[in-house]
Amino acid sequence: MTGMGAIFWREVRLAWAGGGGPAGPAAFFLAAITLAPLAIGPDPDLLAAAGPGLMAFAALLSVLQSAERLYGEDFADGTLDLYALLPLGLPLLSLAKTLGQGVATLWPLPFIALLGGLMYGVPPLPSLMLAAAMAAAIPALVLLAGFAGALAAGVRRGGLLIALIATPMMVPVLIFAAGAGRAGFEGDERALANLGLTAAVSLGTIALAPFGIAAAIRSRLG
Amino acid sequence: MWSYFSNPQRFDGLARRVIPVLGIVTLLLLAAGLWLSFFASPPDYQQGETIRIMYVHVPAAYMAMAIYAALAGASFVYFVWRHSLADAAAEVMAPIGAVFTVLALITGSLWGKPMWGTWWEWDARMTSVLVLLLVYLGYMALRSALEDAQQAARAAAVLAMAGVVNLVIVKFSVDWWSSLHQPASVIRFDGPTIHSSQLWPLGVMALAYTGLAAWLVFYRLRTRTLVQKARQIERRRLREARQTQGEPGDLA
Repeated sequence: MTGMGAIFWREVRLAWAGGGGPAGPAAFFLAAITLAPLAIGPDPDLLAAAGPGLMAFAALLSVLQSAERLYGEDFADGTLDLYALLPLGLPLLSLAKTLGQGVATLWPLPFIALLGGLMYGVPPLPSLMLAAAMAAAIPALVLLAGFAGALAAGVRRGGLLIALIATPMMVPVLIFAAGAGRAGFEGDERALANLGLTAAVSLGTIALAPFGIAAAIRSRLG
Repeated sequence: MWSYFSNPQRFDGLARRVIPVLGIVTLLLLAAGLWLSFFASPPDYQQGETIRIMYVHVPAAYMAMAIYAALAGASFVYFVWRHSLADAAAEVMAPIGAVFTVLALITGSLWGKPMWGTWWEWDARMTSVLVLLLVYLGYMALRSALEDAQQAARAAAVLAMAGVVNLVIVKFSVDWWSSLHQPASVIRFDGPTIHSSQLWPLGVMALAYTGLAAWLVFYRLRTRTLVQKARQIERRRLREARQTQGEPGDLA
């Protein structure tokens, strides 16, 4: 457990070291939801209806945007080779590492989503529902991005590869998280079910993805 | 059994006999299936002549999924037992599966226009087939991006196996997603309710498509092993030529 804690805090500290690092995904998210109304028009009804889905989608993109860094640097400088030798085991290690970076860089997303929901004209309660769904979705999103990042670690122009690998895997989370916000906005009782399913996918990903990431790392270390 | 045929020479012997047989059977089945579906079956009482698109569409969709299952199975065999032939099989199956997926999407779109009045409808099944195409593309992209052959093989196997879990959840979630909309006005063909005059051509076409896929897989797999063997011989010849000349700086 202390090993996991050490890895977790190392990632958090690394993310916060060197100025604006942790703000990257949050800034991307904020920029995306600021620009979206400029693209689809200022009609309040349209914005309120499309807002929850747009925000879940923007969150997915901002997680993808930082996926290349997740394992790329540690692969390039040999840290992963050392990690593979630790008695902790790669699955637990990758869980701590991925969640550490996720928590450090993605924690503002639910708050921005809450604010963004209100600015798009989504009523307060559905906005809260959307923010909760986003918080529930983040572990799954970051772990799936981590899986793609581990497979593509150190590949030149890995961004394209990560996008192709991770997007099909993120389909369920996107559907449920956006569904919670949308159903909440439409006053549908399925909002809570969607929120529960988002959390379920996240928990399932926490249980399975570390083994996938570990296998991916091992396959790349050869 | 896997170990037995993972010997390249034995596989080559088997493939040499299987390929022509599969080819002939496939051609016969295709001819019979096409004749049945376009001439020897009645038009549907509701859909008219457009029902004939079903006979080329449904088998393509079925092959798109079946080939992915085979690809994942081969990846599992490679991952556990490290038979390089299983990995080669997975590699050659990916483009074939992707082509069947594209074929399913195109024929589905052609069928959708007269039936639903639209080329594309975001309904659950079409969307999950589109996701399947993305999975195939990701698999091929990963294989071609990794230069080290062994790394590419192992990483691709991990991805292919993860894809199975993913596709099951995608199927379920996309159903849920489309039930949030109003239900699509899809004309459904539930297996047993389909009339036998339509079941026959469909069954023969499904067999023909299966034969075609198996034929292509065996053909590509044999070509791939032969190319590898040719490269090996070429390398050995180069090495021997260098050794007889006594060239300095030869690492071999």
